[in-house]
Amino acid sequence: MKILPIADAQVDLLAERLRAVGVGRREFLKLAAGLAAMGPAGFNAQPVAAAPKLAPGEKLAKDQTFRYGGGGWWQDDPTSHDFNKDLYCNGAPALFAGLMKFNADHQSVLYVASKVSSSPDGSQWIFTIRKDSKWSDGSPCTARDFEWSWKRQLDPASAAPYAAFLYDIKNAQAFNKKEITDPSQVGVRAKDDWTLEVMLEGPRGYFPVLAAFLAALPAHRASVEKHADKWTEAANIVCNGPFVLETWQHGKVMVLRKNKHFFGAKDVTLDTVTIPIIPVASGALPYENNEIDLTSLQTGDLKRLQSSPKTVEEVFRYPFPGTWYLIPQVTKPPFDNVKVRRAVAHAIDRANIVKVAQGFAIPAHAMIPPGFPGALDDPKVKAIQHFDPKLAMAQLRGTPFEGGKNWPKITLTMRDEALGSKPLAEAVQSVLLEHLNMRTDLEVLEPRVFRERLWKQDLQFVWIRWFMDYPDPHNEYFDTFYGKKTTGRRQAWVNDAFDKELEAGRDTSNTRKRMAHYAKAEEIMQTDVGYIPVAWMVRYAAAKPNVRGIEKNRQGEFVVEANVYVDMLPHLYMIEKA
Amino acid sequence: MGRAAVAVAVPVDETRIRMSSLWRDGARRLLRNRLALAGGIVVVLLCLVAIFADFLAPLPYTKSNFGRLNEAPSREYPLGTDQLGRDLLSRMIYGARVSMLVGLGAQVIVVLIGVPIGALSGYLGGRMDIFLTRFIDVMYAFPRLLFVILVMSALGAGLMNIFIAIGLTGWVGIARQTRAQVLAIKEKEFVDGARALGAGFGRLLACHILPNALTPIVVAVTFGIPEAIFTEAALSFIGVGINPPTPSWGQMVGEGQQYIRSYWHLCVFPSIAIAITMLSFTFFGDGVRDALGPKLK
Repeated sequence: MKILPIADAQVDLLAERLRAVGVGRREFLKLAAGLAAMGPAGFNAQPVAAAPKLAPGEKLAKDQTFRYGGGGWWQDDPTSHDFNKDLYCNGAPALFAGLMKFNADHQSVLYVASKVSSSPDGSQWIFTIRKDSKWSDGSPCTARDFEWSWKRQLDPASAAPYAAFLYDIKNAQAFNKKEITDPSQVGVRAKDDWTLEVMLEGPRGYFPVLAAFLAALPAHRASVEKHADKWTEAANIVCNGPFVLETWQHGKVMVLRKNKHFFGAKDVTLDTVTIPIIPVASGALPYENNEIDLTSLQTGDLKRLQSSPKTVEEVFRYPFPGTWYLIPQVTKPPFDNVKVRRAVAHAIDRANIVKVAQGFAIPAHAMIPPGFPGALDDPKVKAIQHFDPKLAMAQLRGTPFEGGKNWPKITLTMRDEALGSKPLAEAVQSVLLEHLNMRTDLEVLEPRVFRERLWKQDLQFVWIRWFMDYPDPHNEYFDTFYGKKTTGRRQAWVNDAFDKELEAGRDTSNTRKRMAHYAKAEEIMQTDVGYIPVAWMVRYAAAKPNVRGIEKNRQGEFVVEANVYVDMLPHLYMIEKA
Repeated sequence: MGRAAVAVAVPVDETRIRMSSLWRDGARRLLRNRLALAGGIVVVLLCLVAIFADFLAPLPYTKSNFGRLNEAPSREYPLGTDQLGRDLLSRMIYGARVSMLVGLGAQVIVVLIGVPIGALSGYLGGRMDIFLTRFIDVMYAFPRLLFVILVMSALGAGLMNIFIAIGLTGWVGIARQTRAQVLAIKEKEFVDGARALGAGFGRLLACHILPNALTPIVVAVTFGIPEAIFTEAALSFIGVGINPPTPSWGQMVGEGQQYIRSYWHLCVFPSIAIAITMLSFTFFGDGVRDALGPKLK
């Protein structure tokens, strides 16, 4: 599975495309330097979705209603649809359109922006906005809306919990932390209605990637000012995405309807999208009862659906960028001893552990899953923590735990969640007991308690996952492990050399050099066992045969709505049932 | 003086005779009750399984076989394997140990807290009684399971903490029973007699009143055991009970229930175990109640 993000071939292809539209080599270098994950698609005005492709004998359904959910999708009522204020509000992303969006290959491509360019070093970005960009009330959605929205997120008065995602913008952090009070000093400015200028704290090659992220979606000023926190209720909401919110019965169901003012409305086929709010425990039942057309599957149901001739064709795998890993807390014995940490790292029998997940996980040898920018397929990296029980035991020589004896009480802590987390954690316990005679107690904490203790670095040994927020190594390393992070730091482990590589990665605009910095960081962290990668997530979904238009990525895998890609609905269409 | 001594000695003797015949009568009645006898036998068997788990279990409960996950019952694995490829039978055998420990251990705490408080309250009367009864009422008003979960989240998961959590919440019933008994018994003449002979407060309670109040306490304990077992199962089911890898039936049901439509055996067998245990204890408890104090019915 060798897939590296910005392969040379891609860069060449990109150059070719640019030449075709009249962009010179020099401009190309300027642009390509920064666009870490940006592919060829980003440089042409693209239709929002390809036209439906019908096979002979197939007919578009008269009723373009699509129902999806279950299996972890909207298991709880969204707190709001206000992504601009809280990117984890769990709302329906199809209600909004950002400057950029992630395509099925998780590349950042143009969306509301029709063009993006940067200064040579990547510290200044200019987004040109489509002239047909409108809100669902018909008024134009301009650069001023984006400026206002981003400043709203950064405004300390908004108390947006994840405002730090925009800290790359000049003075954003100072403004958010009340060190400056004048919002005009924040480095985002609408030069005119259709041009958004963004000044950054320094060279940030990945900024277009951030601009595609949920955190960068706009909010409708007039509605926010009129309805405050209630502005995303169905009766109040004005949005700019392919769909509008028709009804929202809290805790029960949301109904989206096609937005006729959306600039790409002619490319959207679905009329209505119904999203019931279903607890994950109902499993695939609603799908099997034909109450929904697309569902995400859980371990309990996969084998059964796959083994039934009726449903086997409906099940498919989709990439879900998430990594399961262990944090041995370096401030707590016995993990304060690097030999113990190495022993644990070598005792993790990844190939066997993932069997427990029954197809929902594959062995991980690094942070970034295959197919995403920064993924490492290097045998050198794979070797650092490879499974070798003899080597694991040998690490303990000279420690008080030689021969797997004298272990203190060790508690492995995880958060209470589904996602097949607990069986995997139990499998980790099992291999540690088998190969190091290390008995661990598994403690499952309520999510809020877990997070609080995690951030105090109060837990001895942690079983945890990271879901990729946006496809750039900055997210997987800096946002996760940076040692100088003041809030939300998960581990006590700090390493200056590691931090330096992350800073260099952040401040470099040459993609290849950037990736080299992150590769080096991964090597440092694994060698010092700041973390132990265990498994990458894989997910399965099932779709009724009359659902069409689910996109495929370069590897030919179907891609459905997950935590980076949220652009599924505009592409779907229903055909008449056979 | 001599007359007084005789008058006192007689009721004491009588008590001993009545007590021993009460227990003997009880045992006879219990043995005649078939349902209770069956329940009792299962309970004894479960205790033996719990004690000798190390010899009975075919495999260690932590031994996983990643090549044989979620297998249905077979000759090699009579009850199948769980999601880590561990032998379900072995895990259930060890699970019995947890259940029995919780059932009995929690009752020890319940008795240690409930009986003294009830006895003091009943015996001392007055303000102390009012204070203690109100306290008991307040404790009684808490929804039991919620309170246990609260205590568990404060203490953290673990066997010892389950004892404490169930003990802390389970004593009120027994305290009330004890108080009522003590209230009735302390008015009896033999108590006056013992007091007249110079028996102190402690001796009166321990040697004269409590032995006579024992029947309802024994019955309450017999019913308390399955309740505690069930509470542990409920706690482990929702994941705040016993920490893995130690197996507990409730936890096994909790982990297995999400696979019920694909791997039924994961939650069906432990559920059956819980059901049988509960039934046996309940039948046995019913029998004990009928045998010892028909009036309690």
